Amino acid sequence: MSSPHPPPPPPRRCAVIRGLSPMVEMPKRRDILAIVLIVLPWTLLITVWHQSAITPLLTIRKACHHLVKEIFIIPERLAARRHRLADDGAEGRHETGQGSDSKEYCSSDKDIVEVVRTEYVYTRPPPWSDVLPTIHVVTPTYSRPVQKAELTRLANTFLHVPNLHWILVEDAQRRTPLVSRLLRETGLNYTHLNVETPRNYKLRGDARDPRIPRGTMQRNLALRWLRETFSPNSTQPGIVYFADDDNTYSLELFEEMRSTRKVSVWPVAFVGGLRYESPKVNAAGKVYGWKTVFDPHRPFAIDMAGFAVNLRLILYKPQAYFKLRGVKGGYQESSLLRELVTLNDLEPKAANCTKILVWHTRTEKPVLVNEGKKGFTDPNVEI
Amino acid sequence: MRLRFKLKTVFILYFTVSLLGLIYALMHLGKLHSLQGHTKKEPTKPHLPTIYVITPTYARLVQKAELTRLSQTFLHVPQLHWIVVEDSSQRTDLVSHFLEHSGLVFTHLHIPTPQDRKLQEGDPNWLKPRGVEQRNEGLRWLRENIWAGETAEGVVYFADDDNTYSLQLFEEMRWTQRVSVWPVGLVGGMRYEGPVVEQGRVVRFHTGWRPSRPFPLDMAGFATSLRLVLRNPEARFDGNSPMGFVESSFLQGLVTMEELEPKAEMCTKVLVWHTRTEKPKMKREEALQAQGLGSDSKVEV
Repeated sequence: MSSPHPPPPPPRRCAVIRGLSPMVEMPKRRDILAIVLIVLPWTLLITVWHQSAITPLLTIRKACHHLVKEIFIIPERLAARRHRLADDGAEGRHETGQGSDSKEYCSSDKDIVEVVRTEYVYTRPPPWSDVLPTIHVVTPTYSRPVQKAELTRLANTFLHVPNLHWILVEDAQRRTPLVSRLLRETGLNYTHLNVETPRNYKLRGDARDPRIPRGTMQRNLALRWLRETFSPNSTQPGIVYFADDDNTYSLELFEEMRSTRKVSVWPVAFVGGLRYESPKVNAAGKVYGWKTVFDPHRPFAIDMAGFAVNLRLILYKPQAYFKLRGVKGGYQESSLLRELVTLNDLEPKAANCTKILVWHTRTEKPVLVNEGKKGFTDPNVEI
Repeated sequence: MRLRFKLKTVFILYFTVSLLGLIYALMHLGKLHSLQGHTKKEPTKPHLPTIYVITPTYARLVQKAELTRLSQTFLHVPQLHWIVVEDSSQRTDLVSHFLEHSGLVFTHLHIPTPQDRKLQEGDPNWLKPRGVEQRNEGLRWLRENIWAGETAEGVVYFADDDNTYSLQLFEEMRWTQRVSVWPVGLVGGMRYEGPVVEQGRVVRFHTGWRPSRPFPLDMAGFATSLRLVLRNPEARFDGNSPMGFVESSFLQGLVTMEELEPKAEMCTKVLVWHTRTEKPKMKREEALQAQGLGSDSKVEV
């Protein structure tokens, strides 16, 4: 039983330090001193925190499952040089050296704008994170004059994306030194494959024969490689994206696709003879159709650059490949997607498919008239 | 008595806790600061010359895409200042927003091309030189805003928005003393075009078209030191020069062929390509728009 004590006296200045009644003048000053001492640490804290909020070079939007992560990227001199992902299927990589400092906070928001505080490390990919899902980008490529240029600027884009694994598949009998050298020099995490499309499937010159889709065999080889390298039971999450080497990708796109659970979709500019093609999203956030002019009744009226698939789905459905023969123009994407997912399962990204984050640009074929029959320029100079 | 004891303890506890918390936070922040403070200096080394990249641009369908992938390349280059000059009578929202979110150090200018110098629909690309007024505007801005009194260490490079640039190129051009040159891929109807170097000096130019030009180079094939640009306020591009002579009209007053500095391993490597992007076919869009059903114009492409 607690002994009764007198009710708290009315708030008078001297009430705080009752027992020190001899010092009647001092309590006033003591009061102030006490209040100052209480407030001071908090103001200091607030100002210092405020000042240390340095403008980020990159802001990455990430859908965390109730987690917010702050990644402090280590400066250049501490970062280890990145190595190519081993062909024997090593999943993910670990930081050598200091590693990244990370703190986790719980938050109720699902989509959180994450500030990646970085001292920018020029020309190197961001350090590997153990938490972010890996984006496996499958790019088929073939030899032509603009190939090195296309791959160079694509690499410049990919060097900004954390946890990116580039699977470059050449349409060639063997891996060319041009591509091998380029991949090595970028410092990106890559896998270099090759498969030659048999002559009767290749596009002849500029002949627009829509029955023979280019890059199909290369993409299928990449899918097979993924299935051979990763097991369905592995915990390393991954996303598979098919990126052609002449398109243009914004950095935001990669962060949008990172949260794919099954298959996510978004609009693509300059396809289908329109400014952009996009999935139709209803008020409930579900895809119910396709906003296209060219054959909108295709099962998946979407461009190759307009969707991404969760790696686990690829691994669980090992029979799903792009159809090689007898595919009508524009149906190639459907040939893969219909084996993986239904319309209902599609996840719309890019603000419910209202923002353009990828452009289906095409590079002009350069007219090399002045080369003549024998070639005017030194063939040893690589372009 | 008990009351006083309680309160005093409470206060002492409070002070200790908040003090500990503050010390912890300060230590943590101090760690961050020293990390940031130390490395923040590294990318912005005071003696690293700034590369001023002047890019003329104009509104068309692929503009945002081109600028996007260009900015992705530039973000890798330290000490780069991007001067974007729009061919327009005012700054467009698209470019303004884009530059603000690009993360680059930029200057946004604009100047319209006079109507008689503009290419009309159906004109081939080479008929009239493009971007002349915009590049001159970029030069004018540099001359008015960068003081020659400062250690004017810098390089000026004219980068069109549809070309492809490797990262190594910028490190090659950074230490230009006067004018440096290198080969450009996929230009002039050839695999590459560029200077021919013998014993460390440029002796002639390897080009398939009009090699008699004073400087048969492409715009992307040379960079000028800032000092030279500031010391020669009259040097600018001449829009009236005949086809292919635009670069020469600028370089003629600035430097002689003997003074050119060859880069890219004595001009044997191609580090920049004159790529061009196809104009996307909008037949269906136009058909839809005729019916009033065009794709949402509020969506920025």
